[in-house]
Amino acid sequence: MSEPLIQIQSVVKQYTRDTQKLTVLDGLSINVDEGDFVALMGPSGSGKTTLLNLIAGIDRPTKGKILVGRDEVSSMSEGALAKWRSQNVGFIFQLYNLVPVLTAYENVELPLLLTNLSRARRKQQADLALSVVGLSDRKDHYPRQLSGGQEQRVAIARAIATDPKLLVADEPTGDLDAKAGEEILVLLERLNAEFKKTIVMVTHDPRAASRAHRLVHLDKGVLKEDVRGVPGQAVGMAAAAATAAGS
Amino acid sequence: MKFLPLILKNVFRKKTRTLLTIGSIMLPLLVICVMGTFLRALDRPDAAAERGMYRLVVRHKVSLTSLLPLAYQEKIRQLDGVTAATNFNWFGGQYLDRSPRNMFPRFAVEAQSFLKVFDDATIVKGSADEWLHDRAGCLVGQNLSDKFGWKIGDKVVLKGDIFPVNVELTIRAIYFLPSGTSASLFFNRTYLDEALPAFQGLLGTVWIKARDAEAAGRLTRDIDPQFENSPFPTKTETEKAFQMEFVSMLGNVKLLITSIGIVIVFVILLIAANTMAMAARERVTEIAVLRTLGFQRSTILSLVLGESVAIAVLGGLLGIGVFMLLEPVFKRGLQASPMSTLAATMKIYPEILALGFAVAVGVGILAGLVPAIRSAQRTITDGLRQVA
Repeated sequence: MSEPLIQIQSVVKQYTRDTQKLTVLDGLSINVDEGDFVALMGPSGSGKTTLLNLIAGIDRPTKGKILVGRDEVSSMSEGALAKWRSQNVGFIFQLYNLVPVLTAYENVELPLLLTNLSRARRKQQADLALSVVGLSDRKDHYPRQLSGGQEQRVAIARAIATDPKLLVADEPTGDLDAKAGEEILVLLERLNAEFKKTIVMVTHDPRAASRAHRLVHLDKGVLKEDVRGVPGQAVGMAAAAATAAGS
Repeated sequence: MKFLPLILKNVFRKKTRTLLTIGSIMLPLLVICVMGTFLRALDRPDAAAERGMYRLVVRHKVSLTSLLPLAYQEKIRQLDGVTAATNFNWFGGQYLDRSPRNMFPRFAVEAQSFLKVFDDATIVKGSADEWLHDRAGCLVGQNLSDKFGWKIGDKVVLKGDIFPVNVELTIRAIYFLPSGTSASLFFNRTYLDEALPAFQGLLGTVWIKARDAEAAGRLTRDIDPQFENSPFPTKTETEKAFQMEFVSMLGNVKLLITSIGIVIVFVILLIAANTMAMAARERVTEIAVLRTLGFQRSTILSLVLGESVAIAVLGGLLGIGVFMLLEPVFKRGLQASPMSTLAATMKIYPEILALGFAVAVGVGILAGLVPAIRSAQRTITDGLRQVA
């Protein structure tokens, strides 16, 4: 049996607010296999976004170990971690977070500027990423000229431009209407199935969670439920139950 | 270089703010270039000496208003190293009225020797002979004739004030002096000698043309001791030092100008720093997103600093460009001022343009440094939490 892509081992994350110490993740251990599509759910403050940030290497655990592939991200230096992120992780935000003064193409090219690729190769990869999300015809449009759904698709193109193994998404449909949200979920499913991307997605939306292969339900920094199954069946039911419990 | 388009796009993200900031850097940089050029002109060596003309001025040690015996000129002329000597007498008086616009230097001179001492002057209209042979003739500078629209044969009446006599002169020649302002009027002292017999035998200043630099240096040291114990002690100095005395009458001009320059640099630094602080504050989330994508802290630092330097350099280059366009106007303004003597050495100095550019770059770096460091040091999670 192959090693999991992500190994989270006894991770503790504490924040200090004023004089108070706040434990957000409390000894969490969890593995994610390569090619998996995992939905992280839980009520506000349960630690799901913190866990996502730790997996993506934009935050560090107070205790414990996080391995992604063969890389121990929890012990990397700041510089090494930045380089690792640029090569291994694609990040999708709830509010898209595109750079407003750059066109769709330039936004997608941004992570490629950190590589040693030639201008021609960068163009080739950015064009490919835009074609995967179906926005080749909008490449010269600025974010303000795009709908919310289109902006999120550009953000996804930016996330996959460097062809990372891992995509992390923080409520990717949270700011979209039902139709646009559905399009994004279909796109994520396709990236998982067709392009073999491992996806870890934080969501409050049971409809979004039901598209994942696995549901990890957190509460107060500990694992409450971990359900694997066929999308739309076991996961969907667990997601609905988790949402009901959370509310 | 691949980040340059991103820097430039950020520069013009808020066009109005950026243009106002560029303008607020451009205008002070223009002033700095003007003041720097002025200071450079003050420090510049004797313009005549640079052309191989070593002129010295001998005056009364006490003040310019004290006169010397005319006999001094002949004594000085016989000294080794003196090629020619002439004398000047400040006439003053009024032309038309007392307004500053109509004020210009007017001297009664010994015409024959004057042309020998100032043999680098060119007669551009009329003739030196006509001036020499007309007791009531005068020689005027080209800039002066341009200013008043004078032509050869025109009458110029000067109403006496220091000397109680009015002189009615005819323009016989117009000169151009490459090392001077070409903005003075000279007439024959015989006119004044005849009108005011009491003035005969006296002179204001003796102007000497020295043979070479060595002779000029030696004469500067040797002349004054000769008259030290006489009733008319002298002070000998170079033409440039003599002219600078008029500038120094305005006070410590260099200190004043340098102080103003420092204040101006500080003000533009504050303006640019404020712009950069606002720009960085508005982009906290965006910078956190860039760091999420893998941008290193050092890259973020360079992007913010690059933006600050780009704005400052644009303002600086515009300021320098406008200065280069307006330099002839400033020069004309200087010619019409009490510091007109500086106009001859005022020009576009490459080192002043370089200084202006360096000030712009320095302001850009200093203004962007704090916002850049703050942007680079903020953690990604803090940046993503910020609501823009």
